[in-house]
Amino acid sequence: MIEYTVSLQAYAKAILHCAKYPWATVHGLFLAEKKDGKIRFVDALPLAHNWTSLTPMFDVALQQAQLYAKTKGLAVCGYYVANEDTGATQLSAAGSLLAKTLIAVDDSTVAFVVDAKKLAPESTRAALVPYVYSESQWKEQSGAFSDTKGSSGTKGAAFVLENNRVLVATRKLIDERAEVGVHDFDEHVDDVSLDWLQNTTISERIKTA
Amino acid sequence: MSSSLKLLAEIRQSSERRPFEVLKLSEPLLNKGSISQAGDDVWLVYEQVFIAAIDEGEIDVAKAVLEILHKRFGGSQRVKRLYGMINEAVGYPDEAKKLYDEMLEKDATNVLASKRLIALLKSQGQYSIAIQELVSYLDTHGNDFEAWLELAHLYLANHLYAQAAFCLEEVILQQPANHYFHLCYAEVNYTMGCLDIALKEYLRVVELSTDNVRGFYGIKLAADRILDITSHGAGKSRDSSHFKVENAPQKATLERLSQLATERLVAIYSGTNDATKKTVEAWLKL
Repeated sequence: MIEYTVSLQAYAKAILHCAKYPWATVHGLFLAEKKDGKIRFVDALPLAHNWTSLTPMFDVALQQAQLYAKTKGLAVCGYYVANEDTGATQLSAAGSLLAKTLIAVDDSTVAFVVDAKKLAPESTRAALVPYVYSESQWKEQSGAFSDTKGSSGTKGAAFVLENNRVLVATRKLIDERAEVGVHDFDEHVDDVSLDWLQNTTISERIKTA
Repeated sequence: MSSSLKLLAEIRQSSERRPFEVLKLSEPLLNKGSISQAGDDVWLVYEQVFIAAIDEGEIDVAKAVLEILHKRFGGSQRVKRLYGMINEAVGYPDEAKKLYDEMLEKDATNVLASKRLIALLKSQGQYSIAIQELVSYLDTHGNDFEAWLELAHLYLANHLYAQAAFCLEEVILQQPANHYFHLCYAEVNYTMGCLDIALKEYLRVVELSTDNVRGFYGIKLAADRILDITSHGAGKSRDSSHFKVENAPQKATLERLSQLATERLVAIYSGTNDATKKTVEAWLKL
């Protein structure tokens, strides 16, 4: 069984990225540290909020993300997407195809769909629905991120947040409108000085949140 | 006119979606009543605040503003649309749909009502009906390029790339000098495997704009992939590309284009931080 842990840095950055473009389909990648059969998502790389079903810029960004991750000793093995229709938590056909290109490089890749309903202030669960690839399709892992630590999904994978501060801190950042400080690859290609790889300013802010 | 009103007017004219700022700027104006300084534009400001409030989920603000607009314009069709929008926002899509249908019954060419109806269908995930409605809307409003663009989006959501490409051709016919649309067209073609058209359109993008990063990335990708496919022989290519090799430029030209894109990207990235620069250089295989 693979245990996946999502850090505050990864979770908050991905959610803030989605909060920046609430009217659009938004997607990005997670970088992970792999140790002793455990996978820990330590950071998020926000990709795009325009034309998210087209491949050329996704290819460029993914290849650059993989090169960048290598220099940090990390793996690109997470994909996240928030659907334009906030009620939809299915992995769309386009999302499935894009996430599959990550599988080709790293078979422990998980695709996450953001569940906007769980972003409500009273929610106590992570707003991510994980999909694991098995038998040539993406399968939803029900029961992931349950309150009890280590409880498993339907098939061989467990999902936990690194601690109970993750949701509280993310909530606080959203309330403070910190999302304006997140820059994705889409913005980067319009202005290359916006650093989608490191996102230094927002990363610091998340750390101290 | 106060500076807030000026800013609001700017946001309105550029039709940018910045609801948080709109609410922040308008709040003191609404409270102090100084909104009337907008003169004839005051009703436009109210409508703008209404839409921003809907976006931000500030339903009470939206209701208060709508009350004011209703008092002034009564049964106007434009105000009726706002009632539809508030119904959508609070989760009564059927009520909203009824209002839009009524508006269209009165005047089948009501642009605002048609567009709301299509957006509503889309938000309910009824893509094929939304496409039907939008196609029939375009029968009468063929010069509305934004509607063509939206139709392209709907087709893409259903993986109908060829149809999306057709819509973008309509957009480009109407807006030939806007590089953004050439960019979209290039990316749809690239996704379909029409690499020859994609390359040509990416070249048009960099011709129409200055140092367009997306454009140069696209040229590099498309030129390198065509080179890759042609050097391995068409039969052996790993992807089912839909382009004819004879339509693509000569090998020497492709190599020069790839080189040119590399040079421009290096120049554009010369001022960025180390991590970014190193990553891009590694990607360019320098």
